[in-house]
Amino acid sequence: MIKKWLIEMGSPPLFYKWSTKILPWLFISAILILGIGLFWGLLFAPTDYKQGDVYRILYIHVPSAILGQSIFMFMAFCGFINVIWRAKISGMMLKSAAPIGVSFTLLALVTGSIWGKPTWGTWWVWDARLTSTLILFFIYAALIGLHSTIEDKTKADRAVSILSIVGLAIIPVIKKSVDWWQTLHQPSTFTITSSPSMSPDMYQPLLLCLIGFYLFFALLLTLNLRNEILERERTKNWVKQLLGGAG
Amino acid sequence: MIAFRRSSTYITPLIFFLIVVTFFPLALGPQESLLSSLAPGVIWIAALLASLLAVETIFSEDFRDGTLDDFFISLEPSFILVFAKVTIHWLITGLPILVASSIAAIILYLPLDSFIPMLLSLLLGTSFMSLLGALGAALALGKSAILSAIIVLPFSVPTLLMGTSVITSSLNNQDFSGFLMIMGAMLALGIPGLCLLTVEALLLNYE
Repeated sequence: MIKKWLIEMGSPPLFYKWSTKILPWLFISAILILGIGLFWGLLFAPTDYKQGDVYRILYIHVPSAILGQSIFMFMAFCGFINVIWRAKISGMMLKSAAPIGVSFTLLALVTGSIWGKPTWGTWWVWDARLTSTLILFFIYAALIGLHSTIEDKTKADRAVSILSIVGLAIIPVIKKSVDWWQTLHQPSTFTITSSPSMSPDMYQPLLLCLIGFYLFFALLLTLNLRNEILERERTKNWVKQLLGGAG
Repeated sequence: MIAFRRSSTYITPLIFFLIVVTFFPLALGPQESLLSSLAPGVIWIAALLASLLAVETIFSEDFRDGTLDDFFISLEPSFILVFAKVTIHWLITGLPILVASSIAAIILYLPLDSFIPMLLSLLLGTSFMSLLGALGAALALGKSAILSAIIVLPFSVPTLLMGTSVITSSLNNQDFSGFLMIMGAMLALGIPGLCLLTVEALLLNYE
């Protein structure tokens, strides 16, 4: 049953049809949860006694940093499927997820440095986490750069899949080695790792924001993927029929 | 093997490496204390750049004259042939860098005690870079050389960090065997993993 469903989802036209049904629900739930989470976090959550209102950027910073990493894992997962089973749709998924992932990573870096200026007094420190996020950003850039230089889209997908698998293997190593590098050089004066445990009324909106961000990613991915499908299959009959029927 | 007959292929990375190393004292000033503390980083950055310099040639010429086609027709598993290509690439880039690094270490005032750790870290590190470079070259086959550099460089971060850590630890009289073991582990995993992915990447050009 599940297998049959998976095989059906692997076919672009069937996925397109199915996603048309699910899109409104995704849209409503993403906007609703993200909206409630952000409003709650930015306006109603209690002010931090040490940092004041500045800390509220956390409701954007933390989810986007988490998303940046999980989107990469998602891409590598798609890459595995694409290399092993040559499922066309997983390649398209990989391609559609990349720009979203790089945006979230960039957002995490930018909000992080905006947050860092008033609290740490500097835009940037060579902290282990900051450094590995920056490298993650470069890896995303490499993946997107590689995809854009190969003209044949299916080949480009496969090339990026191969590279994302290497990335999945090497990212934990990068994280660990940056950690060791930190301890070897000098301990940073401030750590973000040992943050004081949060009170629940600050934590709940964060959780909601996180779920909202994930839904938002799913929404963007579906939209991107639908465009990608239409563009690549534009010579196929079902796309012609669809577009011909619509207008 | 033809690569050995043309001296330029193995001389260029070597000269490039030495020029980059020479530029650091020129840019930063010739104080001995400063240079010897910067030496691990300088040597490693120069080594990374030099091994990337020749990376693009691993497959491009064989692709152009059709030798690469034979790879996939021949009875030998293509995995072995790719591994042979990587080994040759290491012999013409990694090995000269290894030799030149001793000269670099002398002109950067690196203490003699740190020579062995430096050579060991470079031995493991440049081999891994050749593997990684082969994958980058296979993915960017027929494209610009800068593309393969952009692909490879972010992934070489662990090698850079571990390699410099080995030399820095030995400068501070600390134990560095742990870093070497990790580099060795990366190499051991990289040989089967990266070679197989390189074969996969090369096959993309034959579809």
